[in-house]
Amino acid sequence: MPEDILMDIKRDYVLSRIRAGERIDGRNFDEFRKVEVKTGIIEKAEGSALVKLGNTQVVVGVKMQVGEPFPDTPNMGIIITNAELVPLASPTFEPGPPDENSIELARVVDRGIRESEAVDLEKLCIEEGEKVWIVFIDIHALDDDGNLMDASSIAAISALMNTTVPAERFGVGEDFKLPIRDFPISVTSLVVDDRILVDPCRDEMSVGKNLMTITSDEEGNVVAMQKSGSYLMAEEKFYELLDLSVAKAKEIRENVREQLKGGENGEDEES
Amino acid sequence: MRKIVMPGDLIAKNPKVAGHGTYVEGGKVYAKYLGLLDKTDTSVRVIPLKGRYIPFPGDVVIGIVREVTANGWVVDIYSPYRAFLPISEYPENAIKNRKVNEILDIGDAIIAKVLNIDPKMKVTLTMKDRVCKPVRVGRVIAINPARVPRVIGKKGSMIKLLKSELGIQIVVGQNGLIWINGDRKKVSIAEEAIYIIEEEAHTEGLTDRITEFIKNKKGEDKNGEAKADS
Amino acid sequence: MEKPKLIVDGKRLDGRGFEELRPIKIEVGVLKRADGSCYLEMGKNKIIAAVYGPREVHPRHLQDPSKAVIRYRYNMAPFSVEERKKPGPDRRSVEISKVSREALEPVIMKELFPRSGIDVFVEVLQADAGTRTACLNAASVALIDAGVMMKGIVTAVAVAKVDGQIVLDPMKEEDFYGEADMPVAFLIRNDQIESIALLQMDGRMTVEEVKKGIELAKKGAMEIYRMQREAVMKKYVKEEE
Repeated sequence: MPEDILMDIKRDYVLSRIRAGERIDGRNFDEFRKVEVKTGIIEKAEGSALVKLGNTQVVVGVKMQVGEPFPDTPNMGIIITNAELVPLASPTFEPGPPDENSIELARVVDRGIRESEAVDLEKLCIEEGEKVWIVFIDIHALDDDGNLMDASSIAAISALMNTTVPAERFGVGEDFKLPIRDFPISVTSLVVDDRILVDPCRDEMSVGKNLMTITSDEEGNVVAMQKSGSYLMAEEKFYELLDLSVAKAKEIRENVREQLKGGENGEDEES
Repeated sequence: MRKIVMPGDLIAKNPKVAGHGTYVEGGKVYAKYLGLLDKTDTSVRVIPLKGRYIPFPGDVVIGIVREVTANGWVVDIYSPYRAFLPISEYPENAIKNRKVNEILDIGDAIIAKVLNIDPKMKVTLTMKDRVCKPVRVGRVIAINPARVPRVIGKKGSMIKLLKSELGIQIVVGQNGLIWINGDRKKVSIAEEAIYIIEEEAHTEGLTDRITEFIKNKKGEDKNGEAKADS
Repeated sequence: MEKPKLIVDGKRLDGRGFEELRPIKIEVGVLKRADGSCYLEMGKNKIIAAVYGPREVHPRHLQDPSKAVIRYRYNMAPFSVEERKKPGPDRRSVEISKVSREALEPVIMKELFPRSGIDVFVEVLQADAGTRTACLNAASVALIDAGVMMKGIVTAVAVAKVDGQIVLDPMKEEDFYGEADMPVAFLIRNDQIESIALLQMDGRMTVEEVKKGIELAKKGAMEIYRMQREAVMKKYVKEEE
C-alpha cells in the first residue's frame, strides 16, 4: 500500500493542537463539517445522491432488479450494499477486489439501513416466494478527506429517499416511490487520548484510526455500532460517545431533511 | 512449587523490582506472559513456560545456514529473526583461501554466538569463540526454548551430570537446539534424558532420577549386548 | 417465518435465565504444531484456535520495522452450519477478522518484536450464534498458551435484546429472531475489566438498553475470564507438578 507520507508529517502538529484543546480546522470537538446533499444526479439510476462532508465526497447510486426472495423471508425485498474505494479517491486506495476497509464501510452502512427498517421491504414483494425487488445500494467514494462512513450513510439514505421503483420497465405495474419509513444517521468519532472528535477529517486521522460509529434512528434508538481501529476504549468514554452520537444524529438528520426538501432533482440552490 | 502467573496479573507494587517478563504501568508491576513467578524482596521476574527464542547478545545458539552471500551467511536460529554471520566473524585460520560457500554451505549446521542485535532486531553472529564450530558429526535435537535453563541446571549441574555419566559432548543452544556427540547408544540415552528433564523439570529429586535413569539404561544396553553376543 | 416466543414464563427457550451463559468448555494446547492452541465450546459452538509466532514474515514487504504484524483469520468450516457454507472468506468473515484483530492488537506487546509476525487462526467447526466472541475467547487462550507478551487477557461475550429483555450470550434462535445483538470484548487485567476492545451492535435498542447490555456483558465476561484462566492452569499445573 502506498504510504501517505503527509500523514506522518502532520501527526505531531495535529496531536499538539488537540492537546491544546482545539482542532486543526478550528471546529468544535462535537462539530460536523458542512454537509451538502444533492439527489437525483445520476439519471440512469433509480435513485442517487452526492454528499459532500467538508472535502469528502461520496456518490451513492441505487439500482433495482426483480429477483427471487431469500427462502426465510419469502415476502420481503432484498437490500444489497456495496462499497468501492476507487483509487481516484485517495493516494492510499488501490485497484483490486474490495479490501477489509471497503467491506466494513459497506456492512456498517448496510446495518444502519437494515436495522432501522428504513426501507419497507414487505412493500417490495411482487409475488410471495417468487418475485421481489432487489435494491442495490452502491457506494462510490470520490474524495476521501476523512469519515467516508458518515458521508456514505447520509448519501445512502438520501439516495433511497430519491428512488423510484422502476416497475413499468420490468412490466410489473406502475412506478412508485420507494417506501421509506425511517431516517438512520450514523455519527463517527475519533477517540484521541481523552478527547472525542466528531466527524474527523483525514488530517486528524493521522494520529490513529481509533474510530467509533454509532447509528441511530428517528426516535433516538441505537440501530448499529462499530468500533473500528486497534485501540482500547474506556467504558465511560463509550457512554459519553453514545449520548453525544445520538444527539448529533438528530441535528444532522434535520439538516439533511431540509436539504432534501429543497434540493430535489439535482438543482443547486446556491448557484 | 512456584506460582503460575498470566498476562496482566499484578505481581508487585514496587516498580524498582521489575525484572524479566514484567511490565510497569501506573507504578505497578504486571506479568507480561505466562510463566512461573520468581519473587524475592529485591526482584520479581516471570520465568516463561512457553514461547519462541528471542536472541540476546552472548547467547550460544545452534543454527542452519539458509543463504550464502558474498560477505557471509544468513542463518536460521529458530527465532522470529534470521541472523547474519559475516565472513569477518569466521575464524581467519580456518578460511584458508576457500570461497564463502566452501567454508559453509546451505544446509550446514553451526554452533555460534550472538554478537549483537540492533534496535530493528538485526542479529549478528560470531564464530570467533572456543565453543563455536560447524556441526559435522553427532546429533541435533530440539526442545522448547523456554525449558533450556532447566536442561542446563543450576550452574550447569544437569549438563555436567549427563556429560560425566555418559562420556559425551553436549552443547546446549539457548534457542532450544542441543548438539550431542559421542557413542551412538549413549547419545540416544542422553536424548531421552533431556526430554525427561524438559518435561519434569522443577520437580523434587530430578537429578537423582536422571542419574538412576542413565544407570538403568546403561545396564539395559549392556544386557542387550550380552544377549546379542551369546 | 413466524417469530416464536423467545421467553416463556421468565425463562429462555433453552431454560436459561436472562443473565446465564451457555455451558463452556475450554481445553488448552490441543494442537502439536502450533505455538499455542485452544479448543473451546460455548453451547453448540465448537471452535479451535491456533497461534503461530512471533515468526518471520514473508513476503518481506509485509514486515513492519517497528512492530510485529498481527494477522487474525476467522474462518467457518463448510459443515459448521445447516446449509453448507462456501469455503473461503466471505464479506462477513473479512469484517469479523478485522474487528477481532483490532481487539487484540492493542493488547499484544507488538513493539517488542519488530519485523516479526504473530498469526492467529481460528476455525469455527460448528456455529450456533456468538461465534465471533467464542473465537476471540479461544484466540486469547491460545495467545497465552503461546507465551505471547500481552497487557492482559481479552474476553468476549455477546448480549442481545430478546422479547424486550436484555439477555446474556444469545443462542441461535435468539440471535435470529431477537431485536438486537451486541458482541463486546474487554481487556481484563488482574481480575478487573480495564477497557472495551471490541464493540459492535445491530438491531434496535434504546441508549439505556445499550448501557444495561454493557453491564451485563461485563458480568458474563468475568465468568468467562475465570474459565479461561482455569483452563490454562489445568494444563500447566499438571505439567509443573
